[in-house]
Amino acid sequence: MNKSSALGRNLALPPNGVGRLQKLFSSNWGARLSAYIAFLIIWQLVALIVPRAPGPVPVFTFIWIEISGGSHGGVLRGQFLQHFIVTLQRFSLGLVMAVVSGALLGILIGSLPFFRALLNDTLLVFLALPAIIWAFLTTMWFGIGPRAPIVTTLLTAAPFVAVNVAQGVRAITPDLHRMSAAFGVPLSKRLRHLILPAVTGYLFAGIRFAIIIGWNGVLLSEWFGAAEGVGWRTRFWYDANRYRGFVGWVVIFIIFIVLLDRLALTPIQQYAFRWRDAQAQSSETTKSSMASS
Amino acid sequence: MALLRFENVTKVFPALTKNDKPIRAIDAVSFEMEGHVFVTLVGPSGCGKSTLLNITSGVDSPTSGQVSFAQNGAAPRIGYVFQDPRLLPWRSVLDNLLYVSDEDKATASQKAQTYLDMVGLGSFANLYPGQLSGGMQQRVGIARAFSVDPDLLLMDEPFSHLDAITAEGLREQLQDIWNETRKMVLFVTHDVREAVELSNRVIMMAPGGRIFADIEIDLPYPRRASDRAVAVLQAEILGRFDEMRAEIPSAKTG
Amino acid sequence: MTHMDLAERQARQVEWIVLIKRGQHFGAILLGWVSFIGIWFLLSRFVVGPILLPDPITIGIKMGDIISSGAFVRHFSSSILKVFTGFGIAVLIGTPIGYFMGRTRYWKAFFHDPVMVAGSVPGITYAVMALVIFGISLEGPILAVALISMPYVAINVAEGIEGVDRKLIEMSRVYRRTERHILRHVLIPSIMPFAFAGVRLSFALAWKVEQLTEVFGSSGGVGFMIRKEFQDFSVTGVLAWVLLFIGFMLLIERFVLVELERYLFRWRGPQESELA
Repeated sequence: MNKSSALGRNLALPPNGVGRLQKLFSSNWGARLSAYIAFLIIWQLVALIVPRAPGPVPVFTFIWIEISGGSHGGVLRGQFLQHFIVTLQRFSLGLVMAVVSGALLGILIGSLPFFRALLNDTLLVFLALPAIIWAFLTTMWFGIGPRAPIVTTLLTAAPFVAVNVAQGVRAITPDLHRMSAAFGVPLSKRLRHLILPAVTGYLFAGIRFAIIIGWNGVLLSEWFGAAEGVGWRTRFWYDANRYRGFVGWVVIFIIFIVLLDRLALTPIQQYAFRWRDAQAQSSETTKSSMASS
Repeated sequence: MALLRFENVTKVFPALTKNDKPIRAIDAVSFEMEGHVFVTLVGPSGCGKSTLLNITSGVDSPTSGQVSFAQNGAAPRIGYVFQDPRLLPWRSVLDNLLYVSDEDKATASQKAQTYLDMVGLGSFANLYPGQLSGGMQQRVGIARAFSVDPDLLLMDEPFSHLDAITAEGLREQLQDIWNETRKMVLFVTHDVREAVELSNRVIMMAPGGRIFADIEIDLPYPRRASDRAVAVLQAEILGRFDEMRAEIPSAKTG
Repeated sequence: MTHMDLAERQARQVEWIVLIKRGQHFGAILLGWVSFIGIWFLLSRFVVGPILLPDPITIGIKMGDIISSGAFVRHFSSSILKVFTGFGIAVLIGTPIGYFMGRTRYWKAFFHDPVMVAGSVPGITYAVMALVIFGISLEGPILAVALISMPYVAINVAEGIEGVDRKLIEMSRVYRRTERHILRHVLIPSIMPFAFAGVRLSFALAWKVEQLTEVFGSSGGVGFMIRKEFQDFSVTGVLAWVLLFIGFMLLIERFVLVELERYLFRWRGPQESELA
């Protein structure tokens, strides 16, 4: 696509020193850095204006104390690992259940139009229910304990997995099915070589959504219906009116999910779709090997 | 009468990379056209004809030399027909013609309707371009160009993207409208037969942007592509292009 | 049997098949609803008990109460108002950002990462921000909606500008159209489909974030009422409010937005729109 501006004027950077500084800032890393710096500056400004809001320094100091188990003053000591691990356990359990049930549901909905008509509206309603509602309901159902967060994760994440898997199944064109039938390919082989690889990419997209939504859900659920964990600890500081603690835990919460997404999920998704990229790659190598022979 | 004059117009494009040379698209082109004439620039790709048209319309500017249009000293009104229709898809056909008009809505609408009738699309005024065929859209483009009452009408290979039958029909329609409205037309094409069929003066251009030949065509209107006289002239001009290829080796490429 | 009779018979057979397939389709949908409510009823009466899961009838009655007492209209309009105000702010700020991103390489590089990050921040963050800044307020939910929708608007406007057909701009220049003319007749109509897509995409996110913020930090609106029911330990109340609210939101998405889109873009001709 033509990269010059839509109105036909290409604003070239001036060749002098100012231009080069501008170039540094507009490069990828420069822009990213500027964005984070700008964000921190805005945060600090907001903290100055709004009396209740804690600034970046107190928040990060808090996080450090909390993680290292230091003293917050008085008898309050930093607690991190015990809550984090508990939450991770609940989250993982709920997630696994969500993926399995969601995938099964998705395959059902995607393959048979009858099930699609039957379940689609219900699925829409479940997709639309905000995580907070599940947090409320599970707390009322299960009381304070581990079950509420686990079930919340399951209920918030499963619909997203189902929708994506259904899309994946529907993406397999009828041509391929007909071809398989024409060649008399047995169902087990079809499952392994046709259905699963095609669906995998969508499955991973669904899992990625499920993780992001589910992580939200577990936090909210623990806020209302748990006695320990990330959500509970966040509420602990909020109820104590110690906003730097409250914001600090939210920051921990966000950093975890952003890192998880960038470092783990995206590479996995690329791996899952490698058959698509490999196809393009192999045709290139075939061409070059033919040219050189 | 209006006079369009090209004086030593040259256009050089800077080199794309360090190793290339700058591209001389137009090389000291000079000619004049006056009044109710239909002038066609013909030549192979790379001969600079479209660039010359861009310079005339004001979209581009010459590296040296000048293009001047003398008529009452005012800036000329220009009508332009592109290769593709370039209609605003979110406006009706009529609104597309109103878009380019500077007059009040009532007058402009009346005028627009007149020109749409002239191209045979009078009853399609309220449709969207998406509902018309390619040929019809191009006709709207032609109506639009005429509707601004231009002092100068520029056309850049307007029929090259249409099928042969539609194109021929539009060529005949164009001749009729031109004879009726008495406009000055500068037409660009690579199709020699089209040039001979439509114009009363053909300027052959060579790669490198030079004028190779300037030929008057005296045949009476209306002309058809199937006319014998047209075919004869076309053969003559193609012959001269052979001469040009022999003289200028670079004419073989591009 | 003549050719005509045979052709007529076949045509009628095809009509029947189409009718039956349609009937099956709607039948399945109906069955879906019926079984959903049926299973709910069974769970409530025989498995879990009406305290934990009230049966559909009880909830239906409660929903009726909420509507007839005027409470629904009052709180729903409060929530919806906040959503649309937030949207308005998002459009006001996001459109110029998107405009500059689409026009100039420099601004695109500058804004690209902040907008991308802002768009991937979980909604809960914005809810918390709004909460901390405004406490219990009207402005909190509005800010949350504005923050979460703005990246969508900016990105979509930027794409719209980049996608503006340069040929149309060139044509406008040749015909000596003024910049204002070009803005009004070429740029804005080009951007509109994209801006609208941005609104549609972020609508679902926006009202969820608004509800979340409202639950924690508002003194009115549906979220507030839901929290109140939770504190009263009324599953009936929570479910009644939620179902009413979601029902309306889905209706708005399915009918108002889709119809609006169809009207705004009728020049595009018949389009295929994908739901879910």
